[in-house]
Amino acid sequence: MQGLPSRKEIIQRVKDKGEHIAAVMPIFYPRELLRAYGFQPIEVWGPPNIIASEHQHFQSYACPIVRNATSFLLNGGLDQTDLIFVPHTCDSLQGMGAVLLDFIKPEQAVLTLYHPRSQRESDLVFLVAELKRLAEELSKLSGNQPSFDELTGAINREEMADKALKSLYDNRPQLALSDREFYQLVRSREYLPAEDFILQFEQLPKSEHQPEGVGICISGIVCEPMSLFDEINALGAHVAWDDLACGSRRLYQTDTEGDPFERMARRLLMTVPEPTKGNSITERVDYLYRQMARQNVHGVLVYDVKFCEPELFDIPHLKKGLSDQGIPLLHIEHELDGQLSEQMLTRIGAFVEMLQSEVTA
Amino acid sequence: MSLVDKAKYLINYELIGKQFLKFQGWQDHRKLKNYRPSPDSPLAPPLHSLVNAKNLLSGHYLQGRYANGVKKVAWVTSGAPTEILRTLDMLLIYPENHAAICGAKKVGHEFAQEAENAGYSKDICSYARTDIGALISGKTPVGRLPKPDLLLCCTNICQTVLYWYKQLAEYFKVPLYIIDTPFLYDEMQAHQIQYVRRQMEELIPIAEQVTGRTFSYSKFQQVTRRAKQATELWLEILNTGKHHPSPITAFDEYILMAPIVDMRGDESTVVFYQSLLDELNDRVKRGEGAVKHEKKRVLWDNLPIWFKIGNMSKMLGAKGVNVVASTYTYAWGEIAPMLDEQRPLESMSKAYLYPILNRSPGQKMAAMQRMIKEFDIDGVLLHSDRSCKPYSLGQIDQRDEITYKLGLPALLLEADHNDKRAYSEEQGQTRLEAFVEMMES
Repeated sequence: MQGLPSRKEIIQRVKDKGEHIAAVMPIFYPRELLRAYGFQPIEVWGPPNIIASEHQHFQSYACPIVRNATSFLLNGGLDQTDLIFVPHTCDSLQGMGAVLLDFIKPEQAVLTLYHPRSQRESDLVFLVAELKRLAEELSKLSGNQPSFDELTGAINREEMADKALKSLYDNRPQLALSDREFYQLVRSREYLPAEDFILQFEQLPKSEHQPEGVGICISGIVCEPMSLFDEINALGAHVAWDDLACGSRRLYQTDTEGDPFERMARRLLMTVPEPTKGNSITERVDYLYRQMARQNVHGVLVYDVKFCEPELFDIPHLKKGLSDQGIPLLHIEHELDGQLSEQMLTRIGAFVEMLQSEVTA
Repeated sequence: MSLVDKAKYLINYELIGKQFLKFQGWQDHRKLKNYRPSPDSPLAPPLHSLVNAKNLLSGHYLQGRYANGVKKVAWVTSGAPTEILRTLDMLLIYPENHAAICGAKKVGHEFAQEAENAGYSKDICSYARTDIGALISGKTPVGRLPKPDLLLCCTNICQTVLYWYKQLAEYFKVPLYIIDTPFLYDEMQAHQIQYVRRQMEELIPIAEQVTGRTFSYSKFQQVTRRAKQATELWLEILNTGKHHPSPITAFDEYILMAPIVDMRGDESTVVFYQSLLDELNDRVKRGEGAVKHEKKRVLWDNLPIWFKIGNMSKMLGAKGVNVVASTYTYAWGEIAPMLDEQRPLESMSKAYLYPILNRSPGQKMAAMQRMIKEFDIDGVLLHSDRSCKPYSLGQIDQRDEITYKLGLPALLLEADHNDKRAYSEEQGQTRLEAFVEMMES
């Protein structure tokens, strides 16, 4: 997308200002806390198509995000970062965080955060304490000790950026952006400072946009390579909604009030129903169906990274629950190797054709 | 409680079942007494306690078969603080143990296939696939599993159980209570302990509501005391493996550990483990090893390969190799000193944060290093278990440290705890033989 700074440009800009860079693994983390302590988060979702490092630390059946990110680190891809932040998202990221701390011991500091899986009062109390622990660690690393106002200001900025992100989703039909451009913008939240993201949003050209083809929802962790969006368009469909970990699953709560640590904890806890947390599957199906009905979605493409247990467990119930509501689901797994195989595209093509014939009928 | 259910329970379990199991146990013990192993068998005759373990487990599952309508049933994860539910007299079923039984009976992969046919990926844990397949097909080697009234999922062994229990909650439409145990990358911290304690406290009224009973603190203390006694005995049993020759193999331990997982807190479990300890001490006195000609001593890391236990035990035994210790069986012994009946909730909050699977691979490495020294280990077998990622991720570095820093042979054996389709027999055999040769060289 034109005018959108790249990750490299942001890293350089942050470094030029003498600030710190935190490489952040998926999915949920307190951006505002990192920013308040002087770390600009740059998220690492793999990346795709990475040359495996000489020494492998994880078995071939481990999540490709973890394997790629570790190789990326060992190949020097994270040399400009000062901190590697690994939220406890799943068993694979748990393994990555622990192996980094215990065996690889990179030059950068490694910090972790445990996410409660439920949304009870006890989970909130724990997460507040966990965030305070993290704040102490960040303070030790950066030497910064933000005031109450600085912390509140950082939260407010991130909430404004999150509002802009939500507005992007809400106004999707009014935006003159292709699917690929739209998701490049959504995913720029992975590395752009909140204020830059808001600026990008405000500068967006608005015009009535008629998406072509049948509307689908894309679900999963991360959609790579981004050329998948072009292929979907070429096959006669458009992405009307997503249930992506790098997308709408991170539409955090805004307008929170009160103690800064409680605000941050609530934003992390009160997410939409998603597979890594304790929400029931029925709750998730109901939520997805409501979104899909609103966005005129005709089918779901679940595009999963290989070996992703939280995603895989839900598939049978998701398939049944949505098909009971008349929404078919296609499940495809990828290795995060930056490739779109012919077989994969053929399956997506057949799925789109089926949806088209159903819509026509 | 329906009268018909109660009558079935009384007749089939209390009257006929218990007597039948008693008789079967007597027969098995007699057979074992008269058992004359072939002179070229590499292993000592089986322990009598194996018969007792089979009997205890059979009784447990038989009770389960007729429990619905008579007793409230909870399905629980293997690391869950079950003392709370046991205090309320709930019958506890462990899907992981059930799956392991299916694996040991060599039907795990068949049930897993049923789950795959229903859309579950073969890349998810084979315990989960085995159990889900058993539910879907209605097949089980234990007769019949009772339906749960409550699901208790504790994440101290993995996050997989959370995804798995969400499936069970959908299937049975019963409440699911999650005890979330923060992973210990480092030392245990106060806020982590408080979090676990608070969740345990929250579980009590939920379980009271399900059972319709009032929680008795004094009974809770009694159950905790028995759990502590049983885990202490279990630790002593495992430590008999330090003797030369070792009176026990880890392969025996995998079978003998079922009561410490399933029936912790019961009086019968304490009695069972005391008797097992006596039997092992007797072997030690007589200088009898579980492997007749023990030459090399091995440490096993990770879950067993359930469908290969017997074969591996014989194959390694024939080469004079005894797997004398296992990080997996040790996990249930390590919590023994932490349990305290005077402060049950507080002590349990710490103990249930502490299982080896909830600690970093570096801490597991330190535990392995300690075990290597204490058990006088010659080599380490690391089962790289495709189905258990939290246990397996980190093993590559652990193997390297054992090999290069400690100078011991270490083998990363690719397999799966329950799905034989993920294990290459020929490759496994060749690698095991090479590993034994490395120890001998």
